[in-house]
Amino acid sequence: MDSPYLPFLGMVERSMRLSEKERFFAVVPSSEALLAYRPGQFFMVGLPGYGEAPISITSAPGDTRIELCVRAVGNLTNALHKLRKGDRMWLRGPFGRGFATNEMEGRDIVFVAGGIGIVPMRSLVKAVLAERERFGRLTLIYGARTPEEMLFTEEMDNWRRRGLDVQLTVDKAEARWKGNTGVVTTLIPKVSIKEKETLGVIIGPPVMYRFVILSLKALGLGAEDIYMSLERRMKCGVGKCGHCQINSVYVCQCGPVFKLSELGGLPEAI
Amino acid sequence: MKGLLREHKVYGTVEKDGFPAFAEIFEVDDLKLSETPTHLSAKEFLFPQREVLLKFNMRTSTHVPVIEAEKQVLIGLHPCDIKGMGLMDRVFSHGVSDPNYLARREQTIVVGTDCVPDEYCFCSSLGTDKVEDGFDIFLHRISRGFLVRTSTDRGAELLSRLADSREPTVRELKELEERGAQRERAFKAKINGAPEDLPAIYAKSDESPVWEKIGAICYGCGACNNVCPTCYCFDVKDEVRPNLVEGERVRTWDGCTLEDFAKVAGEHNFRKSRAERLRHRFNRKFRYLAGTFDSLFCVGCGRCSRTCLVKINIVDVTNELIRESHRR
Repeated sequence: MDSPYLPFLGMVERSMRLSEKERFFAVVPSSEALLAYRPGQFFMVGLPGYGEAPISITSAPGDTRIELCVRAVGNLTNALHKLRKGDRMWLRGPFGRGFATNEMEGRDIVFVAGGIGIVPMRSLVKAVLAERERFGRLTLIYGARTPEEMLFTEEMDNWRRRGLDVQLTVDKAEARWKGNTGVVTTLIPKVSIKEKETLGVIIGPPVMYRFVILSLKALGLGAEDIYMSLERRMKCGVGKCGHCQINSVYVCQCGPVFKLSELGGLPEAI
Repeated sequence: MKGLLREHKVYGTVEKDGFPAFAEIFEVDDLKLSETPTHLSAKEFLFPQREVLLKFNMRTSTHVPVIEAEKQVLIGLHPCDIKGMGLMDRVFSHGVSDPNYLARREQTIVVGTDCVPDEYCFCSSLGTDKVEDGFDIFLHRISRGFLVRTSTDRGAELLSRLADSREPTVRELKELEERGAQRERAFKAKINGAPEDLPAIYAKSDESPVWEKIGAICYGCGACNNVCPTCYCFDVKDEVRPNLVEGERVRTWDGCTLEDFAKVAGEHNFRKSRAERLRHRFNRKFRYLAGTFDSLFCVGCGRCSRTCLVKINIVDVTNELIRESHRR
């Protein structure tokens, strides 16, 4: 029997600093099967000697490379930051349930990303923009602590050109910051939406969810119309280790993407 | 028994510091079939406390999967232990199956034996006090020897090859029945409700004051997770050898009552208080896993209550929740 704990090889094709703490990798996987992912899914990324951690996919399906963005916070992620072109990293996955973009067709979408929530959100945004004509009005609200911590901003003009309204905000502004200051919820009421036609998507740190949900509901979105990706610290990815459990569900199997309406019996979700 | 020892690695119940415990059996006399439960369950023989999943080499950046299994016999499992093992079999074969557990299970012969409840045992409340399968051989003690049941071909083959047996007499069967009735009367701990009602009772108990009450005294030591025959959560870590080149990816038992268990990035903890962590553990036993496996995940062995340093008792907690549900 094959071991589900045995990782697949990935060759680093590009390694690029994005910010003080975040690094971007484009990885060529040794198995085609690893490329069959959806936005919102994740890989267990590892290095021998340093262990594994769940890492969000930032590229869109159809890409021939797996793009990842890693924040350096511990031994493994610091070791990953040292990888350069031609180095090896190890991947298991893709795991979890991602965003079903076909369910979102024909709708207006408000994407709300906080901090490194932009990493998996980029995968979804790119997937949606790749089939732009299938969707209605698209808005991205993205908040970071400081302008320096904002990721992928250089791509956003391109996203704007393709019909995504990008609204940025920072917690702490500085002199040359021209945009909005304040948490993401300060921007949500400014979005004009058509009730029953709009979907909301939330990805960000745990503290963000309650407030963003309230703001989206205030705009008129129902629990069926709000999607979110929930963070947990997975250790196995195959529904055994128990770390990602929210009440009765394992996030690595049933999530990380949920509709708000699915979280009714899961008080520990947010 | 001698035959078994010649052919297999054998683990069974021994007396250790005056308590029954599982240990390797080297000679026939080592085995002391215990009527009361061992403090630790037998899960470590199928799901070891520390287990290698992969061997790796940091210089070449390569891994090799490790699936270790050898022929073994476990002797002295009580009905609750056998039921617990059956649940573990289902967990590790559910969805993506776990070859490490399943390979070891495949190579394991289970010899059950009957028991007498102590003050913590409550298997009779959950219907896990008797087993029809899940073992290869089951030994029922009577005044002169054992009445033996087999539930697998492997068990029947072993028995016919390694033991002298004959059909039981009417008198012997009568004695077995009397012992069974005596055992039923001996249960002190009882859940005051039907097992099939427990998921619903737990589902209504999220706001119960019980959780704060036991959370206030819990040490968060994780002993209840360790001794439980159906607790299977684990952590995965890399252990590097002193040569700093080779090493092993290992899984070790972990417990949802430990503080860091549900912690995520940025130090956010989804179950910050001990009350919340205990509620999670109890719900896993009586509610959460019932949806997936159509079975409670408590087998009534009482080990968590027996081992708890502050005397949190799973039967008392459950009975209090049942009382609360009647009051509502």
